[in-house]
Amino acid sequence: MNGKELLSEERLDFVREMMSIGAGNAATALRQLLQCEVNLSIPKLTISPAPQLPALLGDASLAVSCVKMDMVGDVRGEILFLVPDVQKENLIHLVERAMPGPKKSKLETDVSVLVEIGNILAGVYLTAIHDFCKLNIYHTVPTLAIDMLQSLMDEPLAALSRESQVVLLVETDFMLKEAPIKIFFLLLASESDFKKLGDSIERARMAYGSERD
Amino acid sequence: MGPNEIEVKMGEGVVARAPHVVSCVGLGSCVVAILYDVRRRIGGLAHIMLPESDSRNRHATPYRYADTAIATLLEGMKSRGAIPEDMVAKMVGGARMFSSCSHSSAGIGEQNAMSIKHILNTEGIPLVGEDTGGHHGREIEFHLVSGKLIVRAIGKRDREI
Repeated sequence: MNGKELLSEERLDFVREMMSIGAGNAATALRQLLQCEVNLSIPKLTISPAPQLPALLGDASLAVSCVKMDMVGDVRGEILFLVPDVQKENLIHLVERAMPGPKKSKLETDVSVLVEIGNILAGVYLTAIHDFCKLNIYHTVPTLAIDMLQSLMDEPLAALSRESQVVLLVETDFMLKEAPIKIFFLLLASESDFKKLGDSIERARMAYGSERD
Repeated sequence: MGPNEIEVKMGEGVVARAPHVVSCVGLGSCVVAILYDVRRRIGGLAHIMLPESDSRNRHATPYRYADTAIATLLEGMKSRGAIPEDMVAKMVGGARMFSSCSHSSAGIGEQNAMSIKHILNTEGIPLVGEDTGGHHGREIEFHLVSGKLIVRAIGKRDREI
């Protein structure tokens, strides 16, 4: 099964719109958190069978920061945020400037900043899905790891590999005070869970379309 | 990538002879299991994702699962003239990348490593080199000429096992 069979072009457009709103909310959240101008690109969306994911992300040995959480509720799966490690410093620097707090160790600060941003972003993206599709989706407490991209994908992919699995990849460029930060938002789910999401998207799309007419 | 280099991706495997060099990038919870006939310099490498297969999926993707992967490697190596008595094994990977999740039970990485050890033990193939566990990703390069296995990780010195 390929991406096209999972979601038609119309549905994909709708998801793109949904994710644009998610990314817009994320930009607002970041703007408030960082107290600086935040602009964003139109999210680039890809849906594919999960084994092809490493190829979509590019260099398998690229160092990335990854915040991972489980998605529970009507649709189950996993959510991951990836930030290339070279850009992580920009983000952390901005957070530290916006929120000067008691001095902690460098590592401790980095971890808490990244986890907090992952938490906020997951919340806004899921709210977008929730509002559009009327699905109740929640996420568990996030965990962070920094390492080679492919090595971070191993466990989520292996855990899901007993049944066919699908990945929705949303790639958004945030411009924070001239510093570009590429954030990958990944939603991994089994084919059956993804179908549930697809059906809700279709219902929402029909309802949304008739409202507009 | 040179003509003698082979990259093995997640859930895949290969049997090759010297002078090939086999590599895997970005190992997390996956474990690379290597069998090597030291006299004939025939090697087999599997990039294993899960500790055991179930009856539904074992035929289509044997290298994904420890049990079917080792069996497939043994078969492939024997058909190329390797002798089990001359084989040694090495394994790398099996990390727990996200340290805080489900720390009460063994993660997939540990389960993979345990399963492979158990199978090697049953087959009577000695495990002569191992770099498993921890919380970091790894990259490997296996040289069939020498049987040398190089392990790389971010922020760590290269290791030979």
